[in-house]
Amino acid sequence: MSDPENTAPGSAEAGSVPPEVPVFPLGEVLGGTYEIKSILGAGGMGEVYDALDRVLNRRVAIKVVRASIAPDYLLREGRALAAIHHPGVVTVHAMGEHKGTGFLVLERVRGLSLDRLLQDRKARGERFAVDEALELLVAVADALSVVHRAGLAHRDVKPGNVMMAPGGRVVLMDFGLVLPHADRPGHRSVAGSLQYMAPEALTGDVAEGAATLLDVYALGVLGYELLAGVLPFEGAQPLDLYRAKTRQPGPRLASHRTDLPASLSDVIGQMMAPEPQERPQGAEAALWQLRSVRTRAAAGGSVRPFSVLIVDDDADMREALSLYVRAAAPDAEIETTGDGTQAVRAVRRRVPDLLLLDLDLPDINGVEVCMLLRGMQLGDGCLIVSVSGRATRADVELLQQLGVRSVEKGPGLMNELVDLVHGIRPTR
Amino acid sequence: MAAGRPGVEALLAVARAEFAQRLPAKMAEVEKLLSDAAWDEARRAAHKLRGSAATYGFPALSTAAAAIEDELLAAGGPPQAAVVARVMDLVRGARADAERAAAEGR
Repeated sequence: MSDPENTAPGSAEAGSVPPEVPVFPLGEVLGGTYEIKSILGAGGMGEVYDALDRVLNRRVAIKVVRASIAPDYLLREGRALAAIHHPGVVTVHAMGEHKGTGFLVLERVRGLSLDRLLQDRKARGERFAVDEALELLVAVADALSVVHRAGLAHRDVKPGNVMMAPGGRVVLMDFGLVLPHADRPGHRSVAGSLQYMAPEALTGDVAEGAATLLDVYALGVLGYELLAGVLPFEGAQPLDLYRAKTRQPGPRLASHRTDLPASLSDVIGQMMAPEPQERPQGAEAALWQLRSVRTRAAAGGSVRPFSVLIVDDDADMREALSLYVRAAAPDAEIETTGDGTQAVRAVRRRVPDLLLLDLDLPDINGVEVCMLLRGMQLGDGCLIVSVSGRATRADVELLQQLGVRSVEKGPGLMNELVDLVHGIRPTR
Repeated sequence: MAAGRPGVEALLAVARAEFAQRLPAKMAEVEKLLSDAAWDEARRAAHKLRGSAATYGFPALSTAAAAIEDELLAAGGPPQAAVVARVMDLVRGARADAERAAAEGR
């Protein structure tokens, strides 16, 4: 596709071939309102047109899909987009039908697809700078986190579905494969773009409620590609790719370039973990990790000592947690406090790299502390981990939405924290 | 658990032993709070013990503390006499466990 504006509908199901005859001829007026001006793109599943909205006198993008595509495809996409209002997600204006063919009226996003940008860079033998790639990843993760918060999973995150619009706006497009993330994608239903698909999607074995982790995986592949200039896995067939994606150790981003912060390689590696439960648990969690990397990178990365704030009203737990942190990072700067208000003040004074937070605190509880910090954007550069004895499922889900990891008090706590600190600690 | 970190292992062993020594006093505190009808403070004390005992490797005590906390939570206010009696039994059992742990210097 040569036109850089609103992309053609999905790469989706493998093996589809772009048709030769457009669904709507140029000049056709759909529903008495939308005059087809040109074809912006054609893919295996359908077409996207540039059209003039004669009533509102504005340009829009019209999307149609082939008759062979599931009849609810457009409706699903339209409803998903209608539930989301965010500059990082393409806006839907309306749905309609013309001569028996359903169409979606979308915001016309003018810009360049990330795929096009990537290919241009590759052709010139260039890669994205670290800060440039980080900005892009943060923007896509931000848009995805809104999608996930709406209870949806995109399921086709890839450079071709990310548009770079003027003013630095990054827009996530093509929601044709979107699903409520509580749904289990149909068994053996292989949908998406093979290179960006998680291994469990390749085998059609996505657990119920885990569809958002497909997006996290795809975001990891996208990050790898931006930074390495190549895709992480080779292969054209699902089985070859499945083997490559589940092989351990996975591809090492650091082997492609020497200017990468270790924490960035780690986050991308985590996002591409073969096991879904080892990935950041949703786009929001990935977003906070990426923001944390960005903040540290901006601060010079290795200059600042690794700092940890421990918040627990039980002195015994503060002591245990301090010891565990020391086990992983002997030179860490550790500050402790027993209540939530003091915790917020401490973060305001200095944002730690890691905040270990009890949920059951005497004044404001741990969930409220997280909401305050996130609301005030105080903890952007900080990984927050709730350490609780009896977090409810609702607590854990809410914390996940806030990008907060949860661990339980108990005999396994030390090993969990040691692994966690090793995972996020910047290289000295 | 802390393989390759002998210094930390030694510190953990000391911390655990010290925690064990403090356990009888912690259970006594829970008992006193219950006697004083300070239900919420008793629940909070049990809650703390639930987490710290599990973390320091005293699962039976943690389970007992959890049961105390759960009983008090389920009461949803001042508990009935039967609930108090049950909780007190749990406290005494847990206290005996705590004293044993402290005596063994584990």
